[in-house]
Amino acid sequence: MSAETVHTIIDDLGALLLFTMILIIAAAQIYRAIYAVAAQSLFIAIAGAVLAMATGNVDLWVIAGITLAVKAMVLPWVLHRVVQRMNVRREVEPVIPVGATLALAVLIVVVSFQLSASLGQVRQAITGNALPVGIALTLTGVLAMATQKTALTQMVGLFASENGIFFTAMSVTQGMPLIIEIGVILDVILAALVMAIMVLRVRSTVDADIAELARLRG
Amino acid sequence: MPETPLWVLPLVPAVTALLMLTTRDRRILSAIDVAGSAVLLSLALVLARKVASSGPQSVGFLRIDDLGLIFLLLVAVLTSAVSIYTVGWLKQALAVGNMKSELLRSYFALVHAFVATMVVTVLADNLGVLWIAMEGTTITSAVLIGYHGHQHGLEAAWKYIIVTTIGISFGLFGTVVIYAAAAAAGLQGGAGALSWSAIMKLAPTLDPGIVRIGFIFVMVGYGTKAGLAPMHLWLPDAHSQAPTPVSALLSGVLIKCALLGIIRFQTIAAAACGPAFPEGVLLVFGLISVVVATPFILAQHDIKRLLGYHSVEHVGIVALGLGFGGRIGTYAALLHVVNHGITKALAFFAAGKAIARYGSRDMRVIRGLLRVAPVGGTLLMLAALSLAGVPPFSIFVSELMVLRAGIGRGHWVAIAIFLAMVVVIFAGLLHHAGSMVFGEPAAAVSREPETWSPLLGMMLLAAIMVLLGLTIPPSFDGLLRRATEIAR
Repeated sequence: MSAETVHTIIDDLGALLLFTMILIIAAAQIYRAIYAVAAQSLFIAIAGAVLAMATGNVDLWVIAGITLAVKAMVLPWVLHRVVQRMNVRREVEPVIPVGATLALAVLIVVVSFQLSASLGQVRQAITGNALPVGIALTLTGVLAMATQKTALTQMVGLFASENGIFFTAMSVTQGMPLIIEIGVILDVILAALVMAIMVLRVRSTVDADIAELARLRG
Repeated sequence: MPETPLWVLPLVPAVTALLMLTTRDRRILSAIDVAGSAVLLSLALVLARKVASSGPQSVGFLRIDDLGLIFLLLVAVLTSAVSIYTVGWLKQALAVGNMKSELLRSYFALVHAFVATMVVTVLADNLGVLWIAMEGTTITSAVLIGYHGHQHGLEAAWKYIIVTTIGISFGLFGTVVIYAAAAAAGLQGGAGALSWSAIMKLAPTLDPGIVRIGFIFVMVGYGTKAGLAPMHLWLPDAHSQAPTPVSALLSGVLIKCALLGIIRFQTIAAAACGPAFPEGVLLVFGLISVVVATPFILAQHDIKRLLGYHSVEHVGIVALGLGFGGRIGTYAALLHVVNHGITKALAFFAAGKAIARYGSRDMRVIRGLLRVAPVGGTLLMLAALSLAGVPPFSIFVSELMVLRAGIGRGHWVAIAIFLAMVVVIFAGLLHHAGSMVFGEPAAAVSREPETWSPLLGMMLLAAIMVLLGLTIPPSFDGLLRRATEIAR
């Protein structure tokens, strides 16, 4: 594969990632947000495979495989199970109107591209537009968390945000050391499990959403 | 002197954690707890001698230099004090039903797993390993914060894990960005990539633009974990809801480990784009923290929340010291890390005992502590005096040095704000502490004698606190000076 082709594919995947991010923000039901974040992880696994083919870096194959297994399959499955166990009625509860959130998301994307355009030298170190897309995904993930009141949508936002980091990390021309990537994914799994347990624990004791508890103030 | 490889250090608390799972007996658990901490402390001291005599040691992903050593010693000393304190604290907590005996072993196992992750953060040379261990501290301590199992604890734990996980993912992004800059400047790939010492060698050739973006991401990320305002929102909740020994570890060492992460990146950024940029960023965050914490300290009624907000202020002071920069500023910041860690842990211990005695964490209920618990009351007063910055205690010394660094650099506005806030907090804190310690206790307050183990843990810390206020021992001074040269 020529460098040009890889650039084009990565840029196209970046566009798809941003599109799934919009789906997550605009999702009216928690299931849709979970499917969207699973699709996003799938695109990142594909990006990993493409970069592995292009650079001949074996580590990237492993990382793409783990991403596919963990972030596109296991974590969405865990979220799905939690939704079923919780038996939630009000699933998605935006703090501000979805339209306003989308406008903010667009603003973030524009600013991210502006910011990266001012950096010349990095072009050699990171493939295509992976840096601005990564920044935009990370920040919109935080936006999704800040504008949602329920615990599960906050978790989805968190995973989406981390996807942005993975995308950029993969696209650094030399790749991240394998052992580090594995450690990071392990942390993500553990954090997700701990969060899931907390959500279920609060649901079973006080029948409330953990993210809506607001006794501690001042 | 026996050779102790570096990787043994994180292994000690990890093995201790596993040993905890083999028994349910409270006495045996406490014995393992104290023994494990003592082994960690003695290994840390052996390592300190070795680093002092033959310079930085490194094995694989781990490396210890004088800078890391300061933080390692703080972790080891506080872990030991916490273990001693826990013996008596636990007996009391079990009696009133705050802790459940069937959950004890997992509590101890988690505490030592938490310590193990903190030891890795201070020993990490590889910036990726630093991040992984830092997220590891979040996961283990989040479970501990919600350990009492009531709704408030779980609320605090959720806020903590969500806010710090998202914060620290910014830190990972910043790490990736700086790695990309290093890769563009010719850093070799492979397992040694992302190594702090390797990136430092290249640092002057990194692209300043990209390093600036990376540093800001790192600053927000590790700053969240350090409790710098305005990312501190989780801190008062988490530090106040956790079981007291865990509060002491959170406030005393965990936020300091995050500061070490910031210092590591600050040195890279200073080499790549000049010291002015990272110093400016630290100065802004430091000032915001000091200012934001003040009104909450004054208006607080919950003693543990008060101590939590107070940690925000002191992390801000450390950031100010780093932000003023230069030899004095960095030296002052490192000294303040140690002083505040020791003193804040002591304050949490004393507050925990007072809360247990009065059955309330409301400072309007705690009255006349000196009458019912003379030793504990004295220690609480000493801790409060030191935290407020009264001479001759240790925090006064480091605050004065931060101030001197600021004057040396001519940051007059920052100094004026800093001084005003410190004076207000001084008054507020002494008012709160005075009304708790002096006066007539209510008749219903328990007058049972104080138990030895919490007092021993507290006295250990109080002794260090007083010593560091009166004089800085030459060996410790040398350590701080060498560390200052690394961090500057």
